[in-house]
Amino acid sequence: MDSLELSTSLSVDKAEKKNQSIRVRLGRLRDSVCESGIFVLTASSAIIIVFIFIFILIKSWNIFAVNGINFVLKSGFDQQIIEAYHAPADKPVWHFGALGLLLGSGLTTVGALLLAIPLGIGTAIVITELSPRWMKGLLQSFIRLLASIPSVIYGLVALLVVVPFIQDNFITSELQLQYIKQFQLTGNSLLAGIAVLSIMITPVIVALSVDAINAVPHRYKEASLALGLSHWRTIVKVIVPSAKSGITAGIILGTGRAIGEALALSMVSGGIGNIPNPADGGVFFLTPILTLASAIINKSESMSVPSINAALFACGVLLLVTCTTLSLFTKIVERSIRRREGLE
Amino acid sequence: MNKKKIRDLMGEVMSWLASSITIAACLGIIIYLFNMGHAQIDIGFLTNEPATTLETEKNGILTPLVGTLLLTFIGTLVAFPWALGTAIYLSEYAKRNNLTETFRLGIDVLSGVPTIVVAIFGLAVFSNPALGFLSSMVEGVQDVNRAFGRSFLVSGITMAVMILPFVIKTCEEALKSVPDTYREASLAMGASKWYTITKVILPTAKNGIITAVILGMGRIIGDTAIVWLTLGGTLRMTGVQPWWRPDNWLSTLKNTGSTLTSYIYFMSPAGEGHQNENAFGAAFVLIIIIILLNLLTDFFMGSKEIGK
Amino acid sequence: MVYSNSGSIIISVKELNAWYGEKKALSNINIDIKKNSITAFIGPSGCGKTTLLRCLNRMNDLVDGFRLTGDILLDGESILSKNRDVIELRRKVGMVFQQPNPFPKTIFENMALPVKENFGNVRREKLEEIIETNLKAASLYEEVEDRLDSSALRLSGGQQQRLCIARALTINPEVILFDEPCSALDPISTMKIEDMLMELKQKYTIVIVTHNLHQASRIADEVAMFYEGQIVEQASTDVFFSNPKTQLAQDYISSKFS
Ligand SMILES: Nc1ncnc2c1ncn2[C@@H]1O[C@H](COP(=O)(O)OP(=O)(O)OP(=O)(O)O)[C@@H](O)[C@H]1O
Ligand SMILES: [Mg+2]
Repeated sequence: MDSLELSTSLSVDKAEKKNQSIRVRLGRLRDSVCESGIFVLTASSAIIIVFIFIFILIKSWNIFAVNGINFVLKSGFDQQIIEAYHAPADKPVWHFGALGLLLGSGLTTVGALLLAIPLGIGTAIVITELSPRWMKGLLQSFIRLLASIPSVIYGLVALLVVVPFIQDNFITSELQLQYIKQFQLTGNSLLAGIAVLSIMITPVIVALSVDAINAVPHRYKEASLALGLSHWRTIVKVIVPSAKSGITAGIILGTGRAIGEALALSMVSGGIGNIPNPADGGVFFLTPILTLASAIINKSESMSVPSINAALFACGVLLLVTCTTLSLFTKIVERSIRRREGLE
Repeated sequence: MNKKKIRDLMGEVMSWLASSITIAACLGIIIYLFNMGHAQIDIGFLTNEPATTLETEKNGILTPLVGTLLLTFIGTLVAFPWALGTAIYLSEYAKRNNLTETFRLGIDVLSGVPTIVVAIFGLAVFSNPALGFLSSMVEGVQDVNRAFGRSFLVSGITMAVMILPFVIKTCEEALKSVPDTYREASLAMGASKWYTITKVILPTAKNGIITAVILGMGRIIGDTAIVWLTLGGTLRMTGVQPWWRPDNWLSTLKNTGSTLTSYIYFMSPAGEGHQNENAFGAAFVLIIIIILLNLLTDFFMGSKEIGK
Repeated sequence: MVYSNSGSIIISVKELNAWYGEKKALSNINIDIKKNSITAFIGPSGCGKTTLLRCLNRMNDLVDGFRLTGDILLDGESILSKNRDVIELRRKVGMVFQQPNPFPKTIFENMALPVKENFGNVRREKLEEIIETNLKAASLYEEVEDRLDSSALRLSGGQQQRLCIARALTINPEVILFDEPCSALDPISTMKIEDMLMELKQKYTIVIVTHNLHQASRIADEVAMFYEGQIVEQASTDVFFSNPKTQLAQDYISSKFS
């Protein structure tokens, strides 16, 4: 406003004028200091992003240098951690294979998605299209709450409800005896992991799907109804397809959450990097497993050993690469869908 | 004809079923926590410090509660100006060019990075002896000194990094939702750009910015991975005692402690605490805090959008 | 009735009153619509033309707080009765909206969707035949023949509107309702659509809302003029324009033609 004041003070005497112009100049100085401040903050945000990536890569470098591609092709992570922990300082163990963890992350995520996608889209359809007006806000509040429940609470509830349920209903002592050589069947399992993850990522998918469906122009719905499609067929054939880029974004975001979830999974999924064997039938789902993210939590106590430290950072790199790919993938999917629909 | 009607009906029934499961999960968790946790809540629980199983005195959540507040405070204090500054730059100054777009993409990518990755990053960075003033120094073997890398300060700063991309994006959206006519009107009156930002744009976008901060706080309060790695595995404050005396505050901040989330973990069977009642008590308190924050966001944004 | 009685009546509106919440939008509407003719609804903005049009295929069911009294008969049967199948009704009474509203899909999919949804799984050749016939009827076929698989949203506004008309034809309606179909279009597209409407009335009954009195006089057989929720005058086109009875109609015509 300083320059405004300047214009009103044309008639005042010279001294006053000089005073004014100093104030204006001070104002400009203050502006440019603040603007540089903003720029510095922005630059530091940019730097931190790059720094995180480089730092984690460097920290894990040795692992990839020693193991190469075998880091993702070999299994036995738990055993290797124990060996590395007990290895004498002059003969450190650098050989690690995270295949089991990779599969653990993959299986829990895929399983959770298979449950969460229909749950999420169904719920989003109810919120946007089927529920009466008074219910919509209420349902949305519940979804938001579900999205903001901390993962440790999910872990706690799953550990004390879902795990005992699995133990009581699916695990018999004969079964336990049969598999005792390979692993202990306790209820902490792939299945428990999938159950807790699916509830955790459903609200993410719901939230983005609701936004996407609400953004579908009303005229598409009218066009479809006027063509003799029922409300449900309109939803299935016109509304949901028109919202697919947003729904896809929600699913990808949910995938990222599932892959990155560490704590809840470390509480309920067993904590041992077994590779579930499809030949075991139902026991496949009862196998205790470990994921990349929960391995970092579980093994962090032995991080003082340099090679273990690097191995955990290598797990971090795998997570980083996956999640970065997912983020970029969202952008690409959104763009290609928009292009196909002729919006760009 | 009738077949079609039945198919439609099936579809709708399935959708209702899906939403019932989702809502039942939400209600179920909250009711379960209430049932299991409410008996535990009393003045003693809120004002006693955590105890191990061996001790006879009553176990409480005073320091975890304080820990949660402390971390939230530090995390927000660091993240807010940082994120708001970046958001102002992006929405008001940045030109639309490849560099800016790459930066935006970087922010998106960072917001997709799992917190556990941010957590080990924080731990490793702050274990550097040069940053030892933020935590404490450990005597290493063979004269290799390193920093402990775990303290309230370290954890708070790491939390700030974790929420940074999210708060930047939400703040930027809030700033962008201010109509351009406001900017033009102010600039046309001869106001400087900075003046326009501080006196016109920020006040208009206030609610959106507050929402961003509250949602960020929610993330800090709910996070366990970062607490686990960068705040250490201690239930009580480990600085100079009594931790609450102002002259010991700095020491408290530079040392370790716990939060509600890590307390719940330690008390649960997973953390070998096996004091489920206490875990539930703390979980109940935590969920109340989360519900209150949710209501607060509703208040500031008119329950329009769900936290992404 | 004032106007001539040749041709049988397909839609008959009786004593219709309609409200949006507390606001009354139509009062005491009586009108008959003749088979294979073009009926034009005209009148100043906000007078209820769209409201009546959307009653005819019950699109207003979507509007919260909308209610009506009176009756509408299609082929002698009430379309408002409780057990009337709305989907069946909308299949008989098609609609083309003011804003072209093709789906964000390919041209082919836009045409194929209503066919598949209404007639079950049609053989591919049959489907292609239906699509071709109707695109031709909407005089769009030559323009899009070789790009059926590109997005409908890439068409021009006029082409989009003709696609919507073609799409409405695929389900073989008896009546087609047009709500200002040319208001977003240039004069050439408008001419094309007008020519097409003249063609279409051989097979279909057409009701059209228009603000363009020239258009109404060019294509309509019957005209109904609305004012503040009421029909103030209805007559055959020639009579209406050459010899308007009410002062309102005279003023409206002279203001629009001057
Ligand atoms: N969805 C609605 N909710 C409430 N009032 C409405 C709604 N649609 C229309 N109205 C009101 O009903 C009256 C009649 O509207 P209608 O759309 O039928 O007018 P119209 O003759 O088609 O006008 P125009 O020529 O501008 O399209 C208007 O006063 C309008 O404000
Ligand atoms: Mg209208």
